[in-house]
Amino acid sequence: MDVHPIDPHSKTSPSQQLMDQVLDALSRGEASAGDRLPSVRSFAASALVNPNTVAKAYRELETLGVTCGRNGSGVYVLASGVETARRVRRAQTLLAFRETVLQALSVGHEGPSLERLLKQLSANSHRKDTKVKS
Amino acid sequence: MNRSCSPLQAVGIEKHFGKKVVLGRLDFELPVGQVTVLLGRNGAGKTTLIRLCLGTERPTGGQLRILGRDPVKHASEVRRRIGFVPDVPDAYDWMTARDWFRFLRPHFPGFSMKRAIALSDSLAVPLQTPFRALSRGQATKAMLVGAVAHAPELLLLDEPFAGLDPLAHDDVLRAIISEYRAGERTVLLTTHDLEVASRVADRIAMLDGGRIVRELAPDELEERSASGSLPAQLRHEMAESVEVG
Repeated sequence: MDVHPIDPHSKTSPSQQLMDQVLDALSRGEASAGDRLPSVRSFAASALVNPNTVAKAYRELETLGVTCGRNGSGVYVLASGVETARRVRRAQTLLAFRETVLQALSVGHEGPSLERLLKQLSANSHRKDTKVKS
Repeated sequence: MNRSCSPLQAVGIEKHFGKKVVLGRLDFELPVGQVTVLLGRNGAGKTTLIRLCLGTERPTGGQLRILGRDPVKHASEVRRRIGFVPDVPDAYDWMTARDWFRFLRPHFPGFSMKRAIALSDSLAVPLQTPFRALSRGQATKAMLVGAVAHAPELLLLDEPFAGLDPLAHDDVLRAIISEYRAGERTVLLTTHDLEVASRVADRIAMLDGGRIVRELAPDELEERSASGSLPAQLRHEMAESVEVG
């Protein structure tokens, strides 16, 4: 799983940013059921954040039903974890998308031109996927 | 060590240099096992406070206890139990990191050469290159390795990011984070870098004009970081504290 440094200036709290990184990795298939997540210490060092923030994100992922901790041996992805991660991230990103579209419409973008942009982005993303697969 | 005893207790600490008051009736305490960031502008008194903790300066007034001891009267005992990284690496420039560790070992009974070598390896610190040929980032990491190889209870980091370019800055920050031992090792990090403070602090204390003008506890920091950019809030807070102070 790729970990990148958190952004301390973001409106999203550091622990939420860490949770999002894990949920995104699961949604994209970079980690799957039964996989062990990075140790708190190595995750903290890669994300340039206090280890307690990682521990908090891990606790919340467990509460969400995405992972479980096994007696000090690490944090593992649950069988249902991938589906839960997708559901959570889809709901979050849809909400953010809706807000951005409303904001774009409110400053004068036309519905059809946004639609065209969406189609274009979606086609590009499919093309990238096919390239990666081939 | 008595686990309930704060590793650093300062009551009414004063430090004058001639007529200049650098610290004025400062009260400060570090909770065990947490990372406290001491934020302050240049000249706020951060380095003076660190020197008092190391016992290299004597307070003009007040009482300071490091790990329950007077750091001047019990200097050697106190220093054996703390690790220190200065703002400018102060090893002799002809020494290699390995020489530096050999130099430190006899002064620290718990010093493990094995730990120092393994840690140097994982942090990419060259062991055979003299300090004068190391980059500033490599030299700072070598100082960090030397400071933790005896497994200190208290780690003091005085502006460890001073003079580092952005890549070296992140590299040193990564090294420091990997040496945190949550719940076990108490860390005091002085900096004026609000972004670093936002990333790594369990608690933040703001030092200005020789006094602690504001302290932010872990739950307060968590609440703030959930409500928007923490560095921006800290900047605002510091500006206000200075006006009030």
